[in-house]
Amino acid sequence: MSYEITLMTTMAISVLFALSLNFITGFCGQISLGHAAFLGAGAYTSAMLSKADVPFLFTIPVAAICAAMLGAIIGLASLRVRHDFLAITTMGVGFLFVGIIRQQDFFGGEIGIAGIPSSGFGKGGFMLICIALALTFAAFSLYVRRSWMGFVFKSIADNEDVTRVLGIDVSRYKLIAFIIGTGTAGVAGALYAHHFRFVGPDSFGFVESISVLAMVIVGGIGSVWGVIFAAALLSVLPMLVQFIDDYKLLFYSGLLFAMMRFSPDGIAGLCTRLFSYIPRRVPDNGGNNR
Amino acid sequence: MTEILHVRDVTVRFGGVYAVQNVDLRINNGELIGFIGPNGAGKTTLMRVITGIVQPQSGRVFLQGVDITDKATHLRIRAGLALAQQIVQPLRALTLLDNVAIACGSDKTRHALKSMWVTDIRSERAQARELLARVGLSHVVDELPGTMPLGYLKRLEVARALALNPRLLLLDEPLAGLSQKEAASLADLIATLNADGQTILLIEHNLREVMRICPTLYVQDNGKSLAFGKTDQVMSDPNVRNAYLGVGHA
Amino acid sequence: MLYLELFIQGLVQGSIYALIALGLTLVYGLLRILHVAHAALFTLGGYIGVIVTNATGSFTLAMLVAMLVVGLAGMLMYKLAYEPLLSQPPYVSLIASIALFIASEEIFRIAFGPYGLSYQTAPLQGHIELFSGFYLKYAEILVMGLSTILMIALAWLSMQTRTGVAWRATVTDPDMARAFGVKIQNVRYLNFFIGSSFAAAAGVLVALLNNLVEPTMGSVASYKALAIIVLGGLGSIRGTLIASLLLGVLESFGTIYIGHLLDRDAIAFAFLILVLMIRPQGLMGGKL
Repeated sequence: MSYEITLMTTMAISVLFALSLNFITGFCGQISLGHAAFLGAGAYTSAMLSKADVPFLFTIPVAAICAAMLGAIIGLASLRVRHDFLAITTMGVGFLFVGIIRQQDFFGGEIGIAGIPSSGFGKGGFMLICIALALTFAAFSLYVRRSWMGFVFKSIADNEDVTRVLGIDVSRYKLIAFIIGTGTAGVAGALYAHHFRFVGPDSFGFVESISVLAMVIVGGIGSVWGVIFAAALLSVLPMLVQFIDDYKLLFYSGLLFAMMRFSPDGIAGLCTRLFSYIPRRVPDNGGNNR
Repeated sequence: MTEILHVRDVTVRFGGVYAVQNVDLRINNGELIGFIGPNGAGKTTLMRVITGIVQPQSGRVFLQGVDITDKATHLRIRAGLALAQQIVQPLRALTLLDNVAIACGSDKTRHALKSMWVTDIRSERAQARELLARVGLSHVVDELPGTMPLGYLKRLEVARALALNPRLLLLDEPLAGLSQKEAASLADLIATLNADGQTILLIEHNLREVMRICPTLYVQDNGKSLAFGKTDQVMSDPNVRNAYLGVGHA
Repeated sequence: MLYLELFIQGLVQGSIYALIALGLTLVYGLLRILHVAHAALFTLGGYIGVIVTNATGSFTLAMLVAMLVVGLAGMLMYKLAYEPLLSQPPYVSLIASIALFIASEEIFRIAFGPYGLSYQTAPLQGHIELFSGFYLKYAEILVMGLSTILMIALAWLSMQTRTGVAWRATVTDPDMARAFGVKIQNVRYLNFFIGSSFAAAAGVLVALLNNLVEPTMGSVASYKALAIIVLGGLGSIRGTLIASLLLGVLESFGTIYIGHLLDRDAIAFAFLILVLMIRPQGLMGGKL
């Protein structure tokens, strides 16, 4: 049972983290290659507070605020720059984050922070908290997509310049997407810290950023259900299939490339095409399927 | 007659080259002004100065008496400008209806945070349906732009601009690329909009249609104002004839 | 004396950056693709360099083979990976490129082992004393010399030959170039060939400087070169060269003076973000 609980907890945290990136990249169309930095910001905040005897639940909002503040600063700086620059700037933020953490004894340097106290809810309770948070954010995402904000996000993702000519304050919307997405990544970070009870600079590097982006893209950029599915699957796949461990990255990257090459809109896109294919076949059956 | 737009003594240089030089232009409420000039006359540059994509080196732009020279593009739109662009840019992921509906909802999109709490889009869609009917697209409202011919997309641009309820509608070469028949029918639509009270500045190469529908012409050449006035007077102005004949018959 | 030494070290590193970043700029200028997998070609160059040198004993031969093979590999990569994605939104080719890069790192690891390869007898390891107490390795001289020669050759090619003119025309205005009968497809192949072979040269040179090639040697190159082309103003060749040298020197000094705050690799991005705050279009944005 304990193994299943660990599995479920890992899944829930990955889903939350992937959905937080989906908010920025999927909804608002802003590619981020450094999203793990915000997971890290939340994880370090929560870890250090916990070590100072702050209760776990209280560290979650603080972690969210710290990550969101970092996100706001990065957002203000990078939303000014041209489209293609954003990917590189966010990637830079990822490296900068790891680079700074690594050099500061305050953050535990290379070694990181070990011995983070447990959440105090037991393994099962902690799992439920993770699942509840992931589901809450999924519901929030689905709601936002239906709202006017989601409508504007869709328009920005489609064509920023046109959206501006429609009298919409594009930078403001992008900044909000950035703050919500990075804040949520901070929450995922707090959970991460208390799940593994250890944080180190290597856990929040480029590879992590790419892995989470892979989840969003394999799931289908912008599709909440697709992203949940892909994040749940990709996060536990290496655990379930031990033999691919040594080839894990090769497998991941191969999958990612194949996805881009043959179905750039991910699993969600695949499904849509599949389902739109089936009804069109129906009339051929002579209307027999009542 | 109240003044809607006043471009006052505007100059734009790119490097050492004057794209627009000491240009003045006034547009009053209810006018339909045809803005013409040979290639390289600085038409698009002046349009971009008005929309805020290009900042002038000197001069000011006033919209309904308010100085908008230093304002960001989206604020100018909020202040009463709307633009239909020369190169059609539909939002490709949205249906034609939603392309217009999003512009109809400018009250709901004004405050980014508040927009999160609003989900109702019915009234905007109803309004968008009317606007699309007005430009003659009521039969394709649920289609995606990718499947539509250029003529339809040009009309979509106009409908989307109208949805912003502008005091001044800027049309940047709406007729370019259309067949003679399509161009004539879109020009008719523009004339109708103006007859309904819409103030319009129409940049256009298609002289024939411009002369047919625009009572007033503004001519620019080499970045300078060349003529402004009643269409027949302007067209008989020797300077204007020279500018056009100098670069060959259009 | 320390200053001069740091400065020279910076120029050596900067020359390497320039060779790598040039290919990226060429690809970006022509196709608007952020070609992360370029770094995989750089690593491939390093491996070929070491393997051919060890097998034949000739470093010169190794350099030529590496440049030729990797140049062809770059063309192949364009044909198989990028060409089918050109009509997709830009993030598609970016992600595909990242995937390709990670996959090739893994392939290097699986094929040649995680600890990398070295030269059996590394060439050009001697040094000369320029003046008292100031030494310069032959390898370092070669790095600066060869980079300069390659850059001049490229400048000559693009300015003086028909191919070069067609190439520049295509970068400036593809439609116009097509109208004048330039075969865009060939220009793209040429682009990938040149960019990739320059990266291969850089790979061989880095292998020489460190006497080591390892599967992950491209990871620093991949993202730092991206930072450089953004710094240079995306698509500007001159900007890229200036940014490369500037960053090389800056890192060289930065490691000594602010190394306790930021590690070497983070300096590049701190600088990048700083520059973008002041000049959102990059150092030389807009020019080619």
